Amino acid sequence: MNPMKIVVVFKFLKNPEDARVGSDGSVDWRGAKMAVSDDDPAAIQVARNLAAAGGEIVGLTVGDGDAAWAAARGASSTVIVTDAQSNPDAAATGAILAAGVRRIGDADVVLIGDSAWDYGVSVALASQLGWTALAGVSSATMDGDRLRATRKFGDSTQVIEVARPAVLAVFASRAEQDAPGMKEVLAARKKPQIKLTLADLDLTPADRVISRGTKLPDTTAARMIDGADPAAAATQLVTALRAEGVL
Amino acid sequence: MESWIIATDTARLGGILTAARQIGGHVTAAVVGPRSLADAVAAAGPDHVRWYACRDGAPPEAYAPQVAEAVQKAAPRVVLSSTASAGRVLLGAAAAKLGAAVVSSVQTLAVEGDIVKVGRAAAQGKVIETLDAAGAVACIFDGEDVAPAASQPATVEEVRAEDPGDSLRVVETSPDSGGSAGLRTAARVVSAGLGIRAKGDLTLIQDLAAALGAEIACSLPVCDDMRWYGPERVVGRTHNQIAPDLYIAVGISGQPQHAVGVRDAKVVVVINNDPKATFFKICDYGILGDLYKVVPALTEALKQVG
Repeated sequence: MNPMKIVVVFKFLKNPEDARVGSDGSVDWRGAKMAVSDDDPAAIQVARNLAAAGGEIVGLTVGDGDAAWAAARGASSTVIVTDAQSNPDAAATGAILAAGVRRIGDADVVLIGDSAWDYGVSVALASQLGWTALAGVSSATMDGDRLRATRKFGDSTQVIEVARPAVLAVFASRAEQDAPGMKEVLAARKKPQIKLTLADLDLTPADRVISRGTKLPDTTAARMIDGADPAAAATQLVTALRAEGVL
Repeated sequence: MESWIIATDTARLGGILTAARQIGGHVTAAVVGPRSLADAVAAAGPDHVRWYACRDGAPPEAYAPQVAEAVQKAAPRVVLSSTASAGRVLLGAAAAKLGAAVVSSVQTLAVEGDIVKVGRAAAQGKVIETLDAAGAVACIFDGEDVAPAASQPATVEEVRAEDPGDSLRVVETSPDSGGSAGLRTAARVVSAGLGIRAKGDLTLIQDLAAALGAEIACSLPVCDDMRWYGPERVVGRTHNQIAPDLYIAVGISGQPQHAVGVRDAKVVVVINNDPKATFFKICDYGILGDLYKVVPALTEALKQVG
């Protein structure tokens, strides 16, 4: 069996948890730290499982962040599209990533975290490549020559045989286990990093959508009950729940 | 302006249809799955349903090229799907054929002249961002599941699908375990988080659940790290997404990964001693206090109600 070439896409973003919102609905990102998408560790874990049968992992990322992230986790080299900007249009990001995958060349599988921060990127990447795709994947293995992916479907779990080349978008079901140690992190910085620009990939920034600003959502605030007097709080809640018809 | 809905399940169907109707034109639903799904979608009231039956062993994603071609021929201005994995893959394929923008976390749609205005949740739902789309836009809808306006059920047209080939082949299907099934259909659920300090303290949860006639659930770390319950009891994005009438979260901070598991619950009650707990921002009722005192008090109050 030929060794597989596995591309792992990873993405650093300003952590939305840190974003501060003003009373006028404006967002202050200044205090936000860069963080890798929650699902990216699961994606590279799948890559390591697939590479164990004989394969090479290449990291692919856009914009800023820790360019050595994938290298510290098993990638032999990393391609970075340095001037890619964050875009609410996932098709724009998908196009940049697809161009990156094509530039890397001869990939058998592309793994990407199927992040709730933007559920569109993984499927846009797959469709721009024109490859077979599955999203919401929890794990994948090689069965001889064949790629098998596991995913939840309704009330069941399915194992699906996937022809290559394919894009698998992976859901994490837990926080990263076995984070790399100092040795891997230091060795990672010595691995090759290939920096590309949009111009190198013959791409121009897309502007299919234009942002017109942000506002606070129209949600009703929670009814808060002070629990300092537990018995009183309990009575208050029970009364309210009866009125709602859920008791 | 025409819109298409791509459906592989009935999640948020009412909300998706309502959003499509804001665009004002003909609404077609492409359904990929069993006939029962096509009928359920038709009943919700789009103008037309085009139904692709999945051949044995072929998952819905195998039909992406055909569905995408059909969308391209119709050239709608807006395409919508839910966040379901299969639906998103089909939506992505359609968007590429249309040269459409792809926007996720979509809450609302509107039209202003030639512009489609897309409202999407940003910064983890803390704000709604408005995006102007001058051309076609594919929307992954994640907004409120409002009941659609009453209308005639649509006609279901079965599409004579081409054989999708073997690029994707389902080799095994296992139904989720029984524990999940009970949790999924329960009207009331009490859920334990890391605020519970010791396994022995779970009696608090059990007593409250008994008083309510509720199923017990938990957050992911309670299963993975503390190992107090199995994964069939976990509520969250990758485990159980449930819609009970009443969900009482005890000592759970409410990280998005967990909170999304109960976004369709009718009433969410949060009991936590941390005023900054994220769950307080999205629940219906919050009790700020010591769960070790509040939970027994609540159990007692429920016994008195009878």
